[in-house]
Formats: sequence, C-alpha cells, structure tokens
Amino acid sequence: MAIIDDDIFSIADILDSQLTTSDKRNIGRVADIEAEWCEDGSLVLTNLITGPQALAGRVAIPLRSLFQRLLRGRFEHRIPLEEVEEFGPTLLLRGKAMDYPVGQSDRWIADHILRWIPGSGHP
Amino acid sequence: MKKWFSIALGLVTATGGFLDAGTIATAGESGSKFGLGLIWAIVLATLAIILLVEMVGRFTAVSKKPYAAAIREEFGFGFYLFPLMSEIIAESLLLAAELGGIAIALSLFTGVSWHVLFPVAALLVFVMAWRAPFDWIENGPALFGLLMFSFIIAIIALGGPSRESLVTLWRPEIKQGELADYLYLVAATLGATISPYLLHFYSSGAREEGWSGSSLLLNRVTALLGMGFGSIGSIAILLLSAIVLQPLHMQATSLGEIGLAMAQPFGSVGALLFAGVLFTTCLGAALECLLALSYNVSQGFGWEWGEGKKPVEAARFNLLIIVFLCIAFVIGILGFDPLQLALFASTVIALFLPISLLPFLVIMNDPQYLGEKINGRWTNIAVMGILLMAFVVAIVSIPLELLSGGG
Amino acid sequence: MRCIQGHVFLIICFKEAWPGRRISRNGQWRSVATGVLVFVMLMLLTGCQLAQSSFSRTTSNAGAAFSSAALTLRYVHSGKITSAYARSAFMNYQSELQGLDQKLTSQNNAPDPRTVEQLLNLYKPAIHVINQPCLDASCNWRSQLNLLMQAEQAFLKAGEQ
Repeated sequence: MAIIDDDIFSIADILDSQLTTSDKRNIGRVADIEAEWCEDGSLVLTNLITGPQALAGRVAIPLRSLFQRLLRGRFEHRIPLEEVEEFGPTLLLRGKAMDYPVGQSDRWIADHILRWIPGSGHP
Repeated sequence: MKKWFSIALGLVTATGGFLDAGTIATAGESGSKFGLGLIWAIVLATLAIILLVEMVGRFTAVSKKPYAAAIREEFGFGFYLFPLMSEIIAESLLLAAELGGIAIALSLFTGVSWHVLFPVAALLVFVMAWRAPFDWIENGPALFGLLMFSFIIAIIALGGPSRESLVTLWRPEIKQGELADYLYLVAATLGATISPYLLHFYSSGAREEGWSGSSLLLNRVTALLGMGFGSIGSIAILLLSAIVLQPLHMQATSLGEIGLAMAQPFGSVGALLFAGVLFTTCLGAALECLLALSYNVSQGFGWEWGEGKKPVEAARFNLLIIVFLCIAFVIGILGFDPLQLALFASTVIALFLPISLLPFLVIMNDPQYLGEKINGRWTNIAVMGILLMAFVVAIVSIPLELLSGGG
Repeated sequence: MRCIQGHVFLIICFKEAWPGRRISRNGQWRSVATGVLVFVMLMLLTGCQLAQSSFSRTTSNAGAAFSSAALTLRYVHSGKITSAYARSAFMNYQSELQGLDQKLTSQNNAPDPRTVEQLLNLYKPAIHVINQPCLDASCNWRSQLNLLMQAEQAFLKAGEQ
C-alpha cells in the first residue's frame, strides 16, 4: 500500500491512478483531468476523464481529434471529483461498479462474446 | 509448516519452470557449436534474472502493486506504451515458438507432423489458461519440468565433457567467420533467460497468491535458489550437446536433434524423457507468456484481471488471452521452425530489454511504494550493470542476427 | 578483430574531423546516435571476418543436417530412439534441406562450378533418403546411411573453404 505523507496531490499523482469502486472492482485508470478557472484566478479540478480519446491525446495531440472522429466520444467518460472517497495510487470511488459508465465494456464482452465459450461462468 | 511448504513449492516451481523453447534452443545450439564456450553467458543471464525476480517480487509483496501497474503510475501512459508495445511484439513471437515447442514434443512422441499438432497445442494452452486454477498453471508443468535432472544423470553416464572441450570453458574456440554466430548466441541466451514475461508473470502471481511483507523470505528463496537450480537444466543441455553433438559436427538446428544426445546413454527412454521435458517446459512457458501479456495490458489499463476469477468476472483480461493466443496461432501456422522462431524471439527480446528493465531503477528506489525495503547501493549498482549489458546487447542483436543468418 | 578496430578507427576519425564545433546537448545525442549507426552499418556492410560467406554457411549447415540425419538413422536401427521419434526428426530435416539445390546454384560466391556440381550429385540421392528414410528392417538402411555420410562429409568440407 502506498504511504501518503500529506494531503497535497499534484496532477501527476492523479493521472494514471487506478479507479476502484466501493465493491472492489477495477474499472480503469485516469486518462486525463478537467479543471475550471474560478473567479479568484485559481484552477479547480472538476472531473476525471477516462477513455481512448484522452489517452491518445497524451501520446500526441493530433491523435486525440483522430480518435474523436473515429469513436465519436462513445468511450470517453467523466467522473466528478466528488465521487473520489480516498486518494492515493488507487482512487477509491464512492459508488459501485454498476453506477459508473466506465468499465461497462467488461459486461458487454461477457454478455456478447465470452458467454458463447463453455466454462466462461456466464449465468 | 505451511510456510515451509510454500517455500519448497516455490523453489520447485522456479527450478522446473526455468527452461522453455528459447533456453533449450540457445543452450542446444551453443553446446553443439562452441562446446562449453557459452556457459558464462548462461551464468551471467541467471545472475541477472535472480536479481530482477527478487526485486519484482519484493516490490509487489510490499507495495501490493504488480509491475505493469507500477510502470504506468510512475512513468505515465506515454512511457508505458514503449515497454508494452515491445513486449507484445517479442512475446507474441515467443508464444508462437512455445506452442511450436509443445507441437514438436507431441510429434516426437507420435511421429505425426508438428504442423498438424500445432492446433492441438494451441487448444491445450487455451483450455488451461481459460479454466485451470492458478496453482495448476504455476506448479503443474514446473513439477514435471524437474525431469530435467535426468540430463545431469545422462552427463554423468557419458563421463562428462572431454578434456579438450573443458578448455573452451574459459577459452572459447571461435573459428574464422564464426564470431558473429558466437556473439549472436550470447545475445539470444541473454534474451531467452532475462525475459520480461517472466517478471510480469511472477509479479502478478505474487498478487494472485496474496503475497505481503511476510513473503519476502519466500521471494528470496524462490529467486535465488529456484532460478539458480533452474539454470542447471540449461547448462545440462549445453553440456549434453557439447559431449554428443559437437564431435559429430551437428548444429542442433531442430529441437528433436537435442534429444538425440539423451538417446546415447539412455536409449529410447532418454529421447522420450527429453521430449517430455520439452512438452512440460514449453507448456508452462506458453501459459506464463500468454498470461503475462494479458496481465501487462489489463494492469496497465486498470481493468479487472486474475486467474482466480471466472472469465466473465474479468472479461477484458480473458478476451486478451483469446486475442494473443490467436495472434501467436497465426504466426505459428506460417510454418516457421519453432527452434528458429525461439532464437529469433529471444533476439527481439534482447533488442527491447533496456526499455523493459529501465523502470526498475526508479521504482525500486521509491519509498512511497517500498518504505524501507528500497534497494541498497550495491543492488542499484548491479541494476545499472544489467541495464548497461542490456543496452549493448540491444544495439548489436539485430546486426548479429543478420550477419549470422539467425543462428 | 581487424575489422572492428578498423570501424573504431573510422569512428574516431569522424569525431576528430569536427574539433572546433560547439555541440549543443541535442547535438551530442545526435553525434552518439550517428556514431552507433555508422558502426552498425559498417558491421553489416563489411561483415568480413565476423561472419562466414553465404556459400560456406549454406554448405556447413547442410553438412550438419546430413550428420544429424545419419545419427538419427543409426539410432533408430540400434533401438536408441523409437520410429515415431525418427519419423518426426526426419520431417524437420526435410524442411531444412528442401530446396538446397536451388540455393546452391543461385549462390554467387561459390568457389568453382565443379565443386557445386559435385555437391549437387551427392545431394540428389541424399535428399531422397531424407524424404523416404528406411526406419525398419525391411529395407536397405545401411546404403541410405552411406549416402547420408558421403553428403555430410562433402558439404562440411565445402563449408570450411
């Protein structure tokens, strides 16, 4: 378990952190963050962003628009920062896995692909 | 009592699981072409892998994070892509070679062409990866791999290496025009032994088994003694090839030829023992390689993963198992000889080794993950030595592959 | 070693040709990368004593394969390996040695046409043995063994030239 010395986190601490829900399911990692300028000039983090578009943008900026055109924002999701209960290398979220659109492709793959293979454990 | 049983089992697993198509191929060719002149490369590679396995096991036990997750969190997505892509390329080739090794072993038992048996090998690996418990995957093939100690009995029965070949231990005999071959086998030996898939599998296995700070002794014994004893199998194959194949000007360019060295002292039982070891070690390695690829991607992207879960409980992880197995299957049915493919894959691994090992220097010195269990000064110096060796090997591996015609 | 020293000498010469330039940090990395590339290219282009000629490599590999085939045939008839094992091994020798005749005639660094012709004359009956080895007592395996051993010796000798 990571040892957190203080409550100050940099953007680097949050980017790429594991997202784990209250029912102990891993749903993904933070690909990017969204922030807003406040009236007093401070920058406030608002949302965590996941998805291939955001990841592509971190590799090279033109890739982000390419992925946006190809995927049309289907796999990009935002999680409000208020959902994070505990900070660290793993971000613990308040809700259960079902409550978040992130990681639903696990369910889709289980229901549409794996179920046809014997021994998959699909009910 | 349970603790000592775990330690014994870990030791046995590491010993029996050391060999695979890559190490068998490199050891066989090394012995038949250069006698004892490449034992130093096996020893050097073993020392490096002992250190790396101990570190990755210590890291995972203390931080409770697998290696791939640590790379992504510490270095970011952009850097993580480099070792990921290089390992996908290299390990897909190696997985195809391991499947080929299983098929060749089945062919040596049955006399049926390995091309026909290749899909059988792929199916067997799929069934085990899909449903077998992690314990079976980790321990099953490795326990049978202990049959490799029969190679040592064979060496004793043959009277050991000749006096003339003993000299090649410290003064390798490299004839004119053979330097590229020699250096190529050095690079391939290092790539075959220091395989990143082993590190990802070991680290993930530590998480699957719930290792913690109290598992550090188990980790150290597994790394030091397990890998150490395991390299005996590799050295034994080299010695057998040097004793039997080299005087006959054979080059061990196919896996079945290496088994002929066991036939000399033990007859058909010996040859089939070799085929049995080939089967179990390639099966174990194929499972480790396949799972390591899936672990790497799943952990890096933060998805659910684990062999302890039903496939639908970690759907993307299990879909990756199917995808990577299909990729290896397609490479394999192109018909490349598994031994040559294993050598090539080992060279590609050697080429990308610096990228895969660079993260160790940083994460093993991060007290946020390891607390007081960070590396000592001498361990860091050893890691830098391994990295330097990896860089040199990486630069020369492809030119040597081209010059030597692939071994 | 002469070749490697030659490469190093060339690299040193290359660096000293530009003594007075102020090299930026990027420029330093560029010089290192260029030096490595030059070294690698020279290794590939010259090859010289690092590696055998392709004719030598082809013939010594073939000789080794014929040697393996001869040992396999001897072993199956002395009961040291099963006929299934031998059958599997011969399938591998087939894929190693098939098409060798075309490879030999297309090599442009062969010593002389007479040597190539001699090798081809030995290759034809030997490859027939590889394709249809006699693995039981019903056929004349000793004459097959002789053909393999003759091919082995000739190809190994050609590989040493």
